[in-house]
Amino acid sequence: MVDYATILAGFGDAFTPFNLMFVLFGVLLGQFVGAVPGIGPIMAMAIAIPFTFGLDPLPAIAFLVGVNKGGLVGGAVPAILMNTPGTPDAAATALDGHPLAKQGKPLKATKMALFSSVTGDLFSDIVLITVSAPLAIMALKMGPIEVVALMIFAFSILAGLIGNSLIKGIIAAALGLLVASVGQDPEHYTPRLIFGYWDLFDGLPLPSVAIGMLAISEILRRMSLAHGNVKSGIITDGSQTPEDRRVSWAEYWACRYTMLRGATIGTILGALPGIGSTAAAFMSYAMTKAGSKDPTSFGKGNLQGIAASESANSAVVGANLIPLLTLGIPGSVGAALIISAFMIHGMQPGPLLFEQQGRLVYGLFGAMLMANFVNLWVGQLGLRFWTKVVSAPESIIFSAALLLCIVGVSMATSGLFGVAIMLIFAIVGYLMSTFGYSLVIFIIAFFLGPRFEKSIAQSLALTNGDLTQMLKSPVAVALLVLSVVSFVYFLRKNAQAAALETKM
Amino acid sequence: MKLKSRILALGASALMALSAPVFAEDWAPDGPLTIQIGFGAGGSTDTMGRVLGKVMKDNTGWNVVVENKPGGGGVAMFTGLSQMPPNRNIVGMGVSIPVLVQLVNRGDQLPFDVDSFDYLGTVAKAELALVASKDAPFDTLEEMVAHAKEQGTLAVATMAPPQVLVMKQTEAKTGASFNLVTADGGAEVMKLILGGQVLAGFGSGEQYPYLESGDMKVIAGANQSRLSYAPDVKTFTESGVPAYVDPVFFLAMTGGTDPEAIKAISAAIDEAITAPEFVEIVRNAVKGDPINMGVEGTKQMMVDGLANAKVLFGK
Amino acid sequence: MGGDHVVSADRISGIFFLLLGLAMYFVVNPAHIEAVEGGSLNPKTVPDIISLILALCGGLLVLKPTTHQVANLQNILRTAGYSLLLVAGLFAMSRFGFEYVAPLLAFAIMWFIGERRPFWLAFGAVGMPALIWFLVTQALGRALP
Repeated sequence: MVDYATILAGFGDAFTPFNLMFVLFGVLLGQFVGAVPGIGPIMAMAIAIPFTFGLDPLPAIAFLVGVNKGGLVGGAVPAILMNTPGTPDAAATALDGHPLAKQGKPLKATKMALFSSVTGDLFSDIVLITVSAPLAIMALKMGPIEVVALMIFAFSILAGLIGNSLIKGIIAAALGLLVASVGQDPEHYTPRLIFGYWDLFDGLPLPSVAIGMLAISEILRRMSLAHGNVKSGIITDGSQTPEDRRVSWAEYWACRYTMLRGATIGTILGALPGIGSTAAAFMSYAMTKAGSKDPTSFGKGNLQGIAASESANSAVVGANLIPLLTLGIPGSVGAALIISAFMIHGMQPGPLLFEQQGRLVYGLFGAMLMANFVNLWVGQLGLRFWTKVVSAPESIIFSAALLLCIVGVSMATSGLFGVAIMLIFAIVGYLMSTFGYSLVIFIIAFFLGPRFEKSIAQSLALTNGDLTQMLKSPVAVALLVLSVVSFVYFLRKNAQAAALETKM
Repeated sequence: MKLKSRILALGASALMALSAPVFAEDWAPDGPLTIQIGFGAGGSTDTMGRVLGKVMKDNTGWNVVVENKPGGGGVAMFTGLSQMPPNRNIVGMGVSIPVLVQLVNRGDQLPFDVDSFDYLGTVAKAELALVASKDAPFDTLEEMVAHAKEQGTLAVATMAPPQVLVMKQTEAKTGASFNLVTADGGAEVMKLILGGQVLAGFGSGEQYPYLESGDMKVIAGANQSRLSYAPDVKTFTESGVPAYVDPVFFLAMTGGTDPEAIKAISAAIDEAITAPEFVEIVRNAVKGDPINMGVEGTKQMMVDGLANAKVLFGK
Repeated sequence: MGGDHVVSADRISGIFFLLLGLAMYFVVNPAHIEAVEGGSLNPKTVPDIISLILALCGGLLVLKPTTHQVANLQNILRTAGYSLLLVAGLFAMSRFGFEYVAPLLAFAIMWFIGERRPFWLAFGAVGMPALIWFLVTQALGRALP
């Protein structure tokens, strides 16, 4: 166990002005780059790593932590202000954030996102700092069989997002899974559906699909609507009261259970490598909507919707460090980048990290806590800046966003090939939303698909092809029962909503 | 005055020619020198490649740019490299085994072969080990096989096709049966071992912290020679299973590149891998020291590797 | 909006997914997924199941369409126009590079949206590409497409 002197020394290191300055730099860079359409938080980290080469370990890692956390806040900005999320987890934020922004309350929407993001983040950081070791051991017990059950549970909750047509929801999910099966198959390593393009061997590049589907398709739709009539990106008439520009304590406090639930879901999913923030954000959103007394207000600018999604996806990032620090297992691309930064600075994540580098680890924790507060502070200023930016004419916003997405995706993937895929999925996304298919369901299925198939393959290998052995795992059984319950519950709710709609 | 400065300049350049390494005077890239890494950001190849690029930049003053070109364990990147006209100042960095495996299995679908490239050198060798949890009731490959026979089967986690073949070869030679669970990289193998879902699995570096902490033990080495960090542990070959995998991190350029450029860049690589910060990153990533087989040696390594892969895959 | 038109939107997409699912199952999957022996999960299994689900749901949708309406055709055509513009821009970028194509592309997009104010046109077509160029190549040291 690490002694108190080391812990205090570590926190002390983090709070020196020199290290705090790097946290501040990181948050500034992360919030700014994360908010630029087409770049996003992961890209912000990848860009930042080379800048840390010359630094000492603690400032370097403090800087990256700042970028990571700043990027989370920044990532919600384009989703809310322009309905063009750069990452799929921010798509859940857009569901209620963008309608609220369109009502002339962009600052209220983004501030709610900021507060709930920092709340969720802080929650998972505290969990990380206090109980990461037992949580990591629990996460280890979640083997392939339990992961299969967990993903079935996740899919069943997402049924709450399907809307009024079950068939079309299933089509969107099936299409997402089909697209996810492009690339190496999970067991035999054969190239699958790559049509001779070896760039696709590792699967369709995630940034291309996510940005094409979610951001470019929306820009295409909006451009066709804007034809000949250039407006501002967001219209705030003079009728706004000061209450429309801020989030009151009462409004924040009203979301406390939503944020607590979101942060818990995010922390649990974040501690399990490979499931990720997208599932967390949407599960939290669907559960909040299901538990609400007024579910029809969701999707129309409900603050609870923003709080649900942002608290969950931000909590994932802190919790991703639980398997990373204690076991050396990265839970996401962002976490893999942090590991590589650790290695560059001579740290080896794993069971001995706390013993050998305890002071550095607690320095990192201190930097994480500080980054949350810096985020809150910088965010207040940054959000004002971004709402100003999007009040520029739509013509310039769209053309600039398209150029940035092209450059960003070409940097994040491997050049114009990735951009071409982005464009294909932009058109697919446009057609799907035109014909009334949920892009969100498609994207979730696409992101969860590979892990789902891999876990099934692993489970089959472990059980000699006999999946009834799942019933021997109490955790898996519990999750499967919950899945059935939530599936039936959501289907009945959807049917009721559909019946109500046809009556009207 | 003029004469004096010219003599001085002459003297200085003569001094430089004597003291500086040969490559500094002859050749320099016109524009940036790009290192394309055949894997995504965040892995060990990426990490080593980025540090290598930085050290080369510091040493030579060239503008070295590092990019990621993931896909098929480097196959996508080498496909692109092979289709380029030579002398574009683009260097590919990859790992030998994934490329050789695809060449053996799907050579007819690939637009390149081992001869399509001019090789620059290697930077490190990965050591592949079969490891198990400290509580596993066996310490050697023989004991593991015996345990598998006793139990009927035994779950082993793998992360790449050659490891599957090594295990299949073990089944064929010993008559034991294994449940092979495929994992996404070494980190997931470790998770499966620690979680108790499998008893043993392959690691190419991810296991070091657990070996150090005593949570895991090495069962067998899967390279041609014994593991540098566990010299007492026998290899598969020594245990009667004639199969081995030798993944090498190497660099290459499009075939037909200007020999001066090859000379200068390979010299720059050779110089860079001795830099302390590069040595440190290699020790962190693969637990060994940097190894450069040189221009000729790298080519030989690929040719021999292809022959060995053919044997392993029974082709 | 007539009832017939409304129904046809779902029928069209339903037929599309029916055909896509069948084409994947019978033509594409067999040709582009390698056959393997042994193992637990064949590479073809999951894509085949999904293809069949897709075909089945497409068929069901044709039989039981919802009341979904498609936005007007003019907007779809305009989107097609913008998409073609982007495809052309991308193709040009692959030949001539971002530096030369981006200003033209930005200008064309702004012009089609209906922007005529010289200041904004200049800012979008010259200022933004220059800013991106500076950030990517100078500040980050990366290459532009």
